[in-house]
Amino acid sequence: MFVSGLGYIIGETFKGLYRNRWMCITSTGVVVVTLLMLGLFMLVNLNIDHITETVKEQVEIVVYIEDQAAQEAVNDLYKQLSEHRQVEEVTYVSSEEHMRRLQMQLGGMLEGYDSALDNPLLASYEIKTVVPESVVELAEEFETYPAVSTVFYGQGYVENLFAVTGVLQYVGMALMLGLAVTAIFLISHTIKLTVMMRRKEIVIMKYVGASNWFIRWPFLMEGLLMGLVGAVVPLVILYYLYQYSIEWVAGNNLYFLSLLPAEPVIRELAKYLIPLGTGLGIIGSTFSIGRFLRV
Amino acid sequence: MVEADNVSMKYNRCKQYALEDVSFSISRGEFVFIVGSSGAGKSTLLKLIIREIKPTAGLMKVFGKDISRLPRRRLPSLRRSIGMVFQDFRLIDDRTVSENVAFALMVTGASRRDIRKKVPHVLGLVGLQEKAKERVCDLSGGEQQRVGLARALVNRPSIIMADEPTGNLDPGTALDIMNLLRSINLSGTTVLVATHNREIVDRFKKRVIYLDQGKLIGDEQKGIYTHVR
Ligand SMILES: Nc1ncnc2c1ncn2[C@@H]1O[C@H](COP(=O)(O)OP(=O)(O)OP(=O)(O)O)[C@@H](O)[C@H]1O
Ligand SMILES: [Mg+2]
Repeated sequence: MFVSGLGYIIGETFKGLYRNRWMCITSTGVVVVTLLMLGLFMLVNLNIDHITETVKEQVEIVVYIEDQAAQEAVNDLYKQLSEHRQVEEVTYVSSEEHMRRLQMQLGGMLEGYDSALDNPLLASYEIKTVVPESVVELAEEFETYPAVSTVFYGQGYVENLFAVTGVLQYVGMALMLGLAVTAIFLISHTIKLTVMMRRKEIVIMKYVGASNWFIRWPFLMEGLLMGLVGAVVPLVILYYLYQYSIEWVAGNNLYFLSLLPAEPVIRELAKYLIPLGTGLGIIGSTFSIGRFLRV
Repeated sequence: MVEADNVSMKYNRCKQYALEDVSFSISRGEFVFIVGSSGAGKSTLLKLIIREIKPTAGLMKVFGKDISRLPRRRLPSLRRSIGMVFQDFRLIDDRTVSENVAFALMVTGASRRDIRKKVPHVLGLVGLQEKAKERVCDLSGGEQQRVGLARALVNRPSIIMADEPTGNLDPGTALDIMNLLRSINLSGTTVLVATHNREIVDRFKKRVIYLDQGKLIGDEQKGIYTHVR
């Protein structure tokens, strides 16, 4: 069968897809939306895990020192901070150190940038608090100190993110399940249309001795292809979206949000989305053929 | 090759039996006419042999096997060893003549080279080589019938069954087709022809099975169309 049959099967697959192109696009679209959502959730999840890991090791409050502050004022600030009852530890981080970290974070992106000549980053004190819960209050208090430019606190922010995404995840799961069922239904309906159009042909094939598999293949391929396209499209979209997010995060100095690098993450997603997409396609197509093979 | 033992067939929604208590046996290499007026059950008999339908009662054996008990996965191989020319042709209208014939080869897994060789040959046998590239819906009834015959022949089956193969043909072409079937029979293929073409039956002097309202009323070697009880 795979000698002359293969050409036939491939030909029939594309013919079937073309004849029902609108239904095809709709079904594939639903797979795209389903898997795009799933991919997005996975992406967010992977990164939240990663960020909470890194944040745990990170300082809780970063106090940026004003650029023009006098050395005396900076020393005073250090004293003020380290003598605070709620503060456990204060570490000075120079602007050069910040630049070095940023360069590490961004990989090669700042290659050749001479930070010694022109460094826009501020020096800072990194502060560990006695109890994490006081982070927000303390940050507000530090903001009023002289020689302070801005105050930043990471963990609370991340925890809020967590709470929000926790709810979103349940809603998303339910939505995705609904979409997956819709996708299967639509795919099976699309293929049923092709099956109906070729009903006569299928019956004839049976009478000249075609095996059920021979008849089934083009329809399976049709479903599989819809599912595959439905998985590849979200992967491409997610790749660019994610790349853009990484750049945006870097561009806005949000380097405490250390995102995972794009390629391995997308590759990880592909491991789930592609089998899922093709699976949806195959399930959809098996639902639609059965009845016509019993002659 | 084909053996019927008190076979009866009643279609689901019908009161009357399409076939009733029919028994006969056909051996390898025979040429058999199945005759009878319209509605006698000729097509029903052929449909039973390729297991398009199952008998309501009785035993139908093809190639020594009870076709009622044939598992579904064995059906393709049964149908590949029987070439059937259907009364309603059963061709794929929007495909060309060669595609229709190639179809029967393709489902058996024949190679492309095989198909390219066998299809023109068999179209030549039925006199359709010039029409190879035409779509079936552009052909006349007689031409379509010959496409059906070409498709039935192309797999070199051990049984050829033709349901009214001359129904749409002029007497000359009908004779050509019947001569073709006879020469195929001479090469060892069992041939069953359902027909009410009296002239042809009388001319060929082959075995004739007579059906009348679903009953077998006669079975004669070297028979003629009109059966006298
Ligand atoms: N698909 C079907 N469903 C119900 N009844 C059928 C079906 N096919 C045939 N019959 C009935 O079975 C009987 C025999 O029909 P069959 O087609 O076998 O006759 P035939 O000898 O081939 O006739 P013809 O010479 O007109 O082709 C008829 O009474 C017919 O009405
Ligand atoms: Mg008939």
